[in-house]
Amino acid sequence: MAFSRLLTFGRFVLWLVLGFTGWSCHAQSLQPQTLTHATATITVQGQTEVKDLELPYAWDKMHKGQEGEATFELRFDAVQQDASPWGLFILRLGNAYEIWLNGVLLERKGDLHRYNGGDYAQVPRYVTVPSGVLKASNKLVVQIRADAGRKGGLTPLVIGPQALVQPLHQQSYWLRATASMAIALYSLVVGSLAFLLWITQPAWKPNAGLQRDPLYLYAAAAELLWSFGVGYMFFEEPPLPWPWWGVLSVSAGAIWACAMVLFCIEVAGWGARLGARWLRRWLFLVMGMAPVLTLVGLAWGQPLVLTITYGIVGLTNLSFAVYFSWKSLGAAPHAQKAIALAILVNVMVGIRDLYVYRIDPSYTSFTWLRYSSLLFGLALAFIVLTRFRAASAQARDLSATLALRIAQKETELSSAWQHTERLVREQERSAERSRILRDMHDGVGAHISTAMRQLQSGKASDQDVLHTLGESLDQLKLSIDAMNLPPGDITALLANLRYRLEPRLKASDIDLQWAVDLILPVEHLDDKAMRQLQFMVYEALSNVMQHAHATAVRIEAAQTEHGVRLRVIDNGCGFDVSQPWRKGLMSMRDRATAIGGALVLQSAPGHTVVEILIAKS
Amino acid sequence: MKQWQVLIVEDDPQMREFFVASVERSPELCLVASVGTVAQARIVLDNLTAEVDVLLTDLGLPDGSGLDVIRHARHRHPECEPLVISMFGDEENVLASIEAGALGYIHKDATPEDVANAILQMKADASPISPMIARRLLARLKKSVPVDSVDKAATLLDEQNPNIDVISLSPREQEVLELIARGFSYQEIARLVQISVHTVQTHIKSLYRKLAVNSKSEAVFEATKMGLLQLHQT
Repeated sequence: MAFSRLLTFGRFVLWLVLGFTGWSCHAQSLQPQTLTHATATITVQGQTEVKDLELPYAWDKMHKGQEGEATFELRFDAVQQDASPWGLFILRLGNAYEIWLNGVLLERKGDLHRYNGGDYAQVPRYVTVPSGVLKASNKLVVQIRADAGRKGGLTPLVIGPQALVQPLHQQSYWLRATASMAIALYSLVVGSLAFLLWITQPAWKPNAGLQRDPLYLYAAAAELLWSFGVGYMFFEEPPLPWPWWGVLSVSAGAIWACAMVLFCIEVAGWGARLGARWLRRWLFLVMGMAPVLTLVGLAWGQPLVLTITYGIVGLTNLSFAVYFSWKSLGAAPHAQKAIALAILVNVMVGIRDLYVYRIDPSYTSFTWLRYSSLLFGLALAFIVLTRFRAASAQARDLSATLALRIAQKETELSSAWQHTERLVREQERSAERSRILRDMHDGVGAHISTAMRQLQSGKASDQDVLHTLGESLDQLKLSIDAMNLPPGDITALLANLRYRLEPRLKASDIDLQWAVDLILPVEHLDDKAMRQLQFMVYEALSNVMQHAHATAVRIEAAQTEHGVRLRVIDNGCGFDVSQPWRKGLMSMRDRATAIGGALVLQSAPGHTVVEILIAKS
Repeated sequence: MKQWQVLIVEDDPQMREFFVASVERSPELCLVASVGTVAQARIVLDNLTAEVDVLLTDLGLPDGSGLDVIRHARHRHPECEPLVISMFGDEENVLASIEAGALGYIHKDATPEDVANAILQMKADASPISPMIARRLLARLKKSVPVDSVDKAATLLDEQNPNIDVISLSPREQEVLELIARGFSYQEIARLVQISVHTVQTHIKSLYRKLAVNSKSEAVFEATKMGLLQLHQT
């Protein structure tokens, strides 16, 4: 049968890997005796029967779901060649036991009458035979207490010189106990590391931000539970009463298997698939049910329920393992392939263990799953290493491209900036152009056309035409000066007007009084507003020169609480401010409104005040 | 009576005639020559036997800039005082002229008397300055003058960098310049600061000279203004 061949092969590999110290003992001339024939007195539920039998005696196989006591009587002859001590090696016995040789108690473990108490059937035993006890013809009595479903019973006993028997025990102990301890520790370390990775290494998910990776959590749960499941054998006196302790250990195994499947789903990146979602629900259900079913199986002595529980877990894992392995062929990532191998090997070993333990119990065998489970830890390490490798490669890649991208962005930014700059400059130029055009239209253009009409009509004197043209030139100069006026600087504006108009005032014999304070720049007066203000003051002075017949004009500027107050005061003939205003005055008022200011006129013969008020903001 | 020898460079014949007439009207002035191009002006200036006390030049000339004529005149005749004919007396042109070595400017719309007066006033140490130009000078001096003018390290550094001109102003010069920028006339300033009008004028002229001496670059203050400058010249 292929399966048994596989088992043979597995056993061969195990022997090969774990060594076979003591093998050479078989070559010794004085072979230890293997005692398999016993007369057993077995008491179950008050019924006692006596029978001859061949060891091993697997209690659970003979008495499903029942507890009881048994006394095995074995007889053997011994030829002690010298004074070298003898020893007794028993692969498995218990759950509690007493060993008597020729009426001498060799060893006692646990209480023979306290059912579901301490379990001493987990590790191989070696008992030294004290000198003087051994005779030519011997009676060995082994009493056991066997609990239901706790793998009680007795294996064949090996007796002989210590030098030959003890190595057998050591080898067996190493394989079953020491290796298990190492595996438990290994799983504990791997589980703890996985847990730490889960805590400290959240990954960036496109839609959900920084999230912990469930892969690590499942791995941590699996490995920690496995550590407990394997380390269970070292608790001879369980810290919990039966059956809870048993429930705990069996559930740990079941949950381990389910967590492994969850872990595989994450490794393959199937987490979001519909099938994976259903499988996950199923696994959570199994994990939830496992303790309940185990409790039923152990507390009510229903080993079938236990077998079914193992079966469900096994079948789930088997189906998944086959699907996963099939999917992992071909183009799947290395990590997935590694995990596929691990789960495939584990499921096969698990089936073997299930067969050996639940279907055809062989009392001398023990589970192999503990060894094959190492593969998961290795696969996890492989995944973590692969991920860190990928992450550091990505980091290298990023820093390499970062410089490139920055350079690209800089180029883009610079061209965008240049474009904006060009637009702004064009806008400024266009604004400047329209300002100049407006100035030409209102100022020079208007004056030149007036001068032409004056000449065409023949009515105007040379003086009139000269005056018109002079005014035109003044306007032009002011327009040019306005280009350089610092925005908001009223002092500069007035100073410049004075400079430009003083020759004309002098020519008109008007005395100028200058009472301009140093005025803080008014923030809201921009280029356009400055030009408006320049026009207003120009208009006021022009009126004085043309119409007022004044001999003196006073220009005042003062900072007030509310802003700036400008005054042009003359001692001319004045005018009636209640009459409809002339075009010049109307235009002054419009300009004042445009810059958020006010125009106030007061006039009486000999004292006319044109007041311009500019608010602070 | 000393007669000042005047060279006129103006390409517009009518304007040239007007300036020639203005100079000839004044008994204190004597016309050396009146020409219309940079090349012709150079020929006159290169004749070192001819004395040129005053150069009256337009800026926009058919074969170049009046600034070149000013520099050439200063080079050939250090005693020559150039006067620029400016249409508008605007900042850019006037400042560029001052840097080239001009000591004053005349508006094109000046009367014949004004022309002669301007020349004679300049010879009497009175250079005109507008509030706008005074303001610009103040702004510029603020930028370039070291905090401590005797700070040798700073001065040394500035000397090494030909683009930075170091112009040190006396407190009085600074005060006068500020008052001009605020629109006060020379008379008013003289009254306010309690100095003579002549002293005020001397301060201005000395400032003109400082600017010309310290102008190491041929350009005006900012490159962007150059565009404007050329626009006005042509």
